[in-house]
Amino acid sequence: MRVNQNDLNTPVENTWCPGCGNFGILTAVKGAIADLVNEGFAELKDFVLTADIGCGSKIYDYIKINGYYGLHGRAVALAVGIKLANPELKVIAFGGDGGLLNEGIAHLVHAARYNSDITTVMHNNQVFALTTGQATATTERGFRGKSTPLGTFEEPLNPITLMIESGATFVAREFSYDVAHLKETLKAAIKHKGFSIIDVLQPCVSFHDTTEYFRKRIYRLEDEGHDPYDREAALKKAREWGYDLDPDARIPVGVFYINDEKMAYEEGWPSIRKGPFWKRKRERRWEDTIRKYVVV
Amino acid sequence: MERQILIGGEAGQGVAKAATIMGKAFVREGFYVFNYRDYPSLIKGGHNFNVLRISAEPVSSHEFDGHDVVVALDEKTVRKHAGEMKKDAVVLAPNRVNADSKLSVDTENIIRELNAPKIMENIILISAAWKYLGMPFESLEKTILEELKNNRTAVTAAKRGYEEVETGKVMGTAPEKRARYFITGSQAVAMGAIAAGIDLYIAYPMTPATPVLHYLAAVQTEYDFQVLQLENEIAVANAALGASYAGAMTMIGTSGGGFALMGEAMSLQGMSEVPLVAYLAMRNAPSTGVPTYTGQGDLKMAVNIGHGEYPKVVVAPGDPKEVFERTLEAFYLAYKYRVLSIIISDKHLAESTYTVDGFSPRVEPERFIVEDVPEDYKSYEITETGVSPRAVPGQGDAPVRATSYEHDEYGYTREEGEWAIKMNDKRFRKVRYIKEEVASLEPVNTYGNGDKVIVSWGSTKGAILDALKQLDGWRFVQVSYIEPFPAEQFLDAVEGAERIVLVENNVTGLLGDIIAEKTGMIIEEKILRYDARPFTPKYILRRL
Repeated sequence: MRVNQNDLNTPVENTWCPGCGNFGILTAVKGAIADLVNEGFAELKDFVLTADIGCGSKIYDYIKINGYYGLHGRAVALAVGIKLANPELKVIAFGGDGGLLNEGIAHLVHAARYNSDITTVMHNNQVFALTTGQATATTERGFRGKSTPLGTFEEPLNPITLMIESGATFVAREFSYDVAHLKETLKAAIKHKGFSIIDVLQPCVSFHDTTEYFRKRIYRLEDEGHDPYDREAALKKAREWGYDLDPDARIPVGVFYINDEKMAYEEGWPSIRKGPFWKRKRERRWEDTIRKYVVV
Repeated sequence: MERQILIGGEAGQGVAKAATIMGKAFVREGFYVFNYRDYPSLIKGGHNFNVLRISAEPVSSHEFDGHDVVVALDEKTVRKHAGEMKKDAVVLAPNRVNADSKLSVDTENIIRELNAPKIMENIILISAAWKYLGMPFESLEKTILEELKNNRTAVTAAKRGYEEVETGKVMGTAPEKRARYFITGSQAVAMGAIAAGIDLYIAYPMTPATPVLHYLAAVQTEYDFQVLQLENEIAVANAALGASYAGAMTMIGTSGGGFALMGEAMSLQGMSEVPLVAYLAMRNAPSTGVPTYTGQGDLKMAVNIGHGEYPKVVVAPGDPKEVFERTLEAFYLAYKYRVLSIIISDKHLAESTYTVDGFSPRVEPERFIVEDVPEDYKSYEITETGVSPRAVPGQGDAPVRATSYEHDEYGYTREEGEWAIKMNDKRFRKVRYIKEEVASLEPVNTYGNGDKVIVSWGSTKGAILDALKQLDGWRFVQVSYIEPFPAEQFLDAVEGAERIVLVENNVTGLLGDIIAEKTGMIIEEKILRYDARPFTPKYILRRL
């Protein structure tokens, strides 16, 4: 059955600010899922999303597919668990830079290290927005917010180098207002076997408006002949921009790194490999299990 | 006829294994055995010991003194435990160990002659002790082969040890040789989870929950399930909820510190109503405490884990028989009612080995998933019982949704007060039905029939039952379900008591507080032990 991306709409009123960068992500995600269903990659009922807490994570309420709206920082851990229970599902974890790189960074790093076959979408607005504008791990140095009136002294974290070094096997960056490219990269990420992540630069019109900054400095990696299968080249490209809002920067977007060779986490486990647990009839008799400890 | 044997030595000298083999051999001879394990938090050196209590009658505790035999793999064992020996007791030890009342065993010569590994001293010494107690070699031989993967050298070494001493304090024969189980609380949780149909066990190592991780990991392929160790307890709890949401029968396991880290995710369980079973093995606390020793200080944490209000089940088994049966109940209730079931145990129950006559589970857990997912499936359908029919993602065409936010029947976020009321009412409507189930699961048990009552829960059961043998006019009321609290059954059980004493392995008497909260009854008299050691019958008798 063909799916139109509008079939994925929900009755829930959208509460993002007018002009919010998240709208572009929402449109791209719905488009990517509809395309993948229509191209026969998977059935709609096999898509599952998990969501963190934050503005971007409200996407749970705006897409009509299976979903688990979790805790702050834990969307990736939830997604890892879902995939372990049923490797046939296509699992996409949504979270912000705060959830993924502050509160839940351990899960992000380890899921990449496991090469869990899930896709993570980072709504990276470089600010805690739903809590009205505090610095996160990707906020530029010197940011003055309500919790940091003296300005921040810390350097931002670079999620692209972090993810490549952690073992992620598909690492990309996109710009939320470039919906067409974001959709194509999402499709490639979801199709990828192993841990994929897209760092989506998503300006926050209320607390961290970087729209013009990005528009002037972004260029596409494929336009400059970048080979995503070259890990050293990927790291070099990733280091071109360090998330400080350096006026002289050029900001590469597109796919930095792909590794198709590495085994996905779920493939390592003999019982998980057999498919969804819920379809299995367990016929273990309790007398047989406890017999291990009988003394005769 | 009772005997108590202490086996001691450094970590790495095979103390625990020797105790397991000897204990199991006594069970094979028709005796009941209780095997207490005591070890500090280190890997090599230090001082480990086990106490084996052996009896023709059921026994479920030990004493820290009154040993008939001390098997000393090092001199520290003699120094630490000589004062606890009976007057006519003997020490069985290698030549190098100095002790009074010693029966020397030339372990070093035997090891050299057989070219055996040095650790085999443990087998030589217990075999000498076996002979000293007048036991036949064959049952020990069979046990050694079972426990040491058919190691024939070990049997030869044991034979040599057996020949080293003369028979002394003869144990005699048990009235009846029959098949019994020799099992720890940890092994019983593991086997209970397998019997319940576990698909995934997810954990992060922490004493004293780690043995369950090890047992389950060792048999995961045999029983076709998976054991996963994730990056921390927070990942464990959240991934487990994800896995259970996606249809896997899932259990997590940890100790107090780890469970505290899982608190927020347990609250997510409450809101999202994704079934989950948690095994909580307590140790001495607060904080890192005395990590390899016991305590019952986490009862209120279990009952109150996670922010906000949501129904849950807390079940507190008292011995491995109950651990096995209650683990099945924990799965059954969690999956049938989409709640969190916590199995609360402790180091003493988890790591002591008990002799069990048999098991009689009361329930048969299942996945409790709908046959067909309706087109208009509502993940949080409001029903009479409060239980919404459970579907899993990918099962039908309708989306299956779970959420940490307050929500409507489809699982969409709702902030209106009306939905908060509807959904809280729905969640708490389950409690009545869970209580009815719990009432049929023997939530309170009474042993003996005196007018004076000991009230307790969990691993103290063993020492209390053994103390009861020496008491006149006392009965023991054991509370096994803490949440929902079986108030009616408890009040019935203590009715007519002329004296009530609370026994708990903690500082303030946590069950006492819960009883007061749930029934209004205040138990003034308390025997509390918080030196990180378990109760023994003598300790209870002395304090009564």
